[in-house]
Amino acid sequence: MTEAIVRIEGLHKSFGGLEVVRGVDLEVQRGEVVVIFGRSGSGKSTLLRCVNMIEDPTSGTIEVSGVRLSGGHRTRRKRRQIRQLRLKTGMVFQQFNLFPNMTVLDNVMCGPACAGHGRDDAVRERALELLDRVGLADKAGEHPIRLSGGQQQRVAIARALAMQPDVMLFDEPTSSLDPELTGEVLSVMTSLATDLHMTMLVVTHEMGFAREVADRMCFFHEGRILEEGPPEQIVSAPACPETKTFLDAVL
Amino acid sequence: MTAEPQQSRESPLERLALASARIPFRLKVAAVWVVIFVLLALFFLAAGFDRPWIRDNIGYIAGGLRYTITMAIGGIVIAIVLATFGALARLSSNPVAYGVSGFYVSFFRGTPLIVQMYLIYLALPPVGRNLTDKYAWLPEGFESALILDAAVAGTIALGLNYGAYMTEIFRAGIQAVALGQSEAADALGMTHGQKMRKVILPQAFRVIIPPTGNEFIAMMKDTALVSFLGVTIASAEMFRRAQLLGKADFKNLEAYLAVAMLYWGLTAIFSFFQRRLENRLARGYVRTPVKALPVQPHSSGGGLAP
Amino acid sequence: MRKRNTLVAATTLLTALLLAGCGGSDSGGGGGSGSDAPAAGSGVCGQGGTDGLLKEVCDKGTITVSTDPAYPPQSSLDPKTNTYEGFDIDVATEIAHRLGVDIDWETPNWDVITAGSWNDRWQMSVGSMTPTNARQKVLDFTQPYYYTPAVVVVNSDNTSITDLTTDLDGKKIGVCSGCTYEQFLDKSLEIKGFTFDFVIDDADIHGYDTDTTALQDLALGDGTRLDAVITSLTTAQGYADAGNPVKIVGDPVFYEPLAVAIDKSAELDPAGLVAAVDEIVGEMHDDGTLSELSKKWYDGVDLTVSQQ
Repeated sequence: MTEAIVRIEGLHKSFGGLEVVRGVDLEVQRGEVVVIFGRSGSGKSTLLRCVNMIEDPTSGTIEVSGVRLSGGHRTRRKRRQIRQLRLKTGMVFQQFNLFPNMTVLDNVMCGPACAGHGRDDAVRERALELLDRVGLADKAGEHPIRLSGGQQQRVAIARALAMQPDVMLFDEPTSSLDPELTGEVLSVMTSLATDLHMTMLVVTHEMGFAREVADRMCFFHEGRILEEGPPEQIVSAPACPETKTFLDAVL
Repeated sequence: MTAEPQQSRESPLERLALASARIPFRLKVAAVWVVIFVLLALFFLAAGFDRPWIRDNIGYIAGGLRYTITMAIGGIVIAIVLATFGALARLSSNPVAYGVSGFYVSFFRGTPLIVQMYLIYLALPPVGRNLTDKYAWLPEGFESALILDAAVAGTIALGLNYGAYMTEIFRAGIQAVALGQSEAADALGMTHGQKMRKVILPQAFRVIIPPTGNEFIAMMKDTALVSFLGVTIASAEMFRRAQLLGKADFKNLEAYLAVAMLYWGLTAIFSFFQRRLENRLARGYVRTPVKALPVQPHSSGGGLAP
Repeated sequence: MRKRNTLVAATTLLTALLLAGCGGSDSGGGGGSGSDAPAAGSGVCGQGGTDGLLKEVCDKGTITVSTDPAYPPQSSLDPKTNTYEGFDIDVATEIAHRLGVDIDWETPNWDVITAGSWNDRWQMSVGSMTPTNARQKVLDFTQPYYYTPAVVVVNSDNTSITDLTTDLDGKKIGVCSGCTYEQFLDKSLEIKGFTFDFVIDDADIHGYDTDTTALQDLALGDGTRLDAVITSLTTAQGYADAGNPVKIVGDPVFYEPLAVAIDKSAELDPAGLVAAVDEIVGEMHDDGTLSELSKKWYDGVDLTVSQQ
């Protein structure tokens, strides 16, 4: 019986007077790959960033692996709960956000080290394993600046995976990459789904990836999930006209 | 049928300008400096300063260099510590931290350094005495701990004063670290403290080091103010020595001229190293990519480093 | 590799600079001649039976004395030996010797010394201080150890100032701030047991941090910045003898006694120390020590006897 790793209920997010997320309900089951797509500026990234509380929800609740939170003032206790939630999620950013003052290996190790995940050498071993999985074991001693964008993003994926999260959150992971570099990142993401059966919530424009890998696709339009369903259904027979318009423009 | 272009005769001035354009700029600036120094030297000779006196005594005055640098180093260390905490407090949502740091910055930037030195040197002892008289439960050493040596009081004042100015520098440095770094650290579940120590502050220091170097150079000269607290010769820095010698031999002018030269030389040396440090950090071996992002270069996989 | 070499060179240069400051600049500065350590158990301390501040000084074996080394020949810094020298220095050293303790020096600003509340940073001031009534409120004074005339000094080119009772009225006169000379000019000078004839009216007072700075302004030219300076005979004579274009005119305008001062607000009771030092000063008068020192520093003149 699959359980919902992520449960978003009635999520609203406003920035000042502008409401960007207007009531979203979404569940992600264990092992599911959910892709959220839509126009730029529709609020998809904001939705994703609410999941690990990097954005503070205006109303509604977020639940990840049993930790249930809503927005509002962050007391010390709440900050601890947010940390607990974040330890179960791994996030990959559009801008990679690798730490330039550390080597690649240190980048991957620092999350578990800070969270106290056991002895140093165990952490190091696992980090090297992960780097190997993303194909960058030979770059372990380099600094991020020496890597190409695609390589940096793969390191970022390894860094997030090092936390052994229940769900991986991808915020437009290939949007900052040159076209020829997106392939290496997407193939890593694909292998996460197929080999590790990782639960993934992905915000992206890469329709090819979505069609191949996603279990469910959600069209995000003006703050709401307009329609969702398996890729075959969404792509070939979208129910809403807005979806069709968007897909026509993109595909 | 085109008319022959008139060959205009180049005036001597134009010829001169064209010729001088070939001489490198640096060389011309150096020439200007040489001329200035020659003029100063002539002025010096004409004004009849007592050159032998300067020659005899500059060694002794220069001997204070050790104390000048020691006090400046002590002051800058205190200032860096205070500025780090101050900057974090200025960025904090904790009202106590924010309020206290705001007050600290306002007071120590708002009052003259010499006044701060006098306050620490002269005002603290009676405060200590009055408090220990009133409150018998205060520990033994409290009162005598507040009676500070002039050099110590001066160094502490320097640290407090410069720490206030540097708080703003450090704050800007921390804010210069891209927001994405903070978000990535958060997403990994780091605590605020871990984030600061491992991610933000190391990157901020790269931005902060050049202006801090400038502050140090300025502080070396402000150590002269300590003389007005009446420092003994056991820890007399350059200005104090110049002051005492000038008064001993009635040669104030020569004494201060000599020490001005020493400060100038000292500043020039440190500024030179400061510039090299800045250049090194700027075209750095490890350059922060946040400045180069978000646009990837259009070479494939070449990375950003040369 | 080149960069590392530069770094090494830089560090070496910096270290060299720091060490350059090393040359002979270390000692804490002793007194003038005759500063051998007193034999243990000698002097007043050796006799025992002391209390208060005096006892603390005896127990520590050192007395800290304040001096302002800006006043040759009373007190100035000799760079070659890195010690202080002068009349006041010698007197203080002798007093310490007779007390049976070593001597240590502090050099605060003059106005800090005269204000009292020394916070026990130093115990005694031998600095040619005049025991004015105002100062007696915060400091205890011994009997005077010498007297110094206050004289009027003018620029060498000056010819207009001859009669001190009239020629100085309304003129620009330089004095050291907070000194008795300034109080003389604004007619506020009060010392118990002495009377003064304030002959100068409406002086345009220019205060300076020390007398020598005032004298330097006077030397710039007659009336350029100052018309005259009032200072002690000894300071004026010293400055003129150094070849500066100033001269002393007329008789001294007043004589002032100068005494050793001890902080009334010292943590421990200073009465014993005051009495002991007072007695020593008396002895030094009687056995001629003070006269000798005066003649040594003041060109053979004995200033230690009262001229009034």
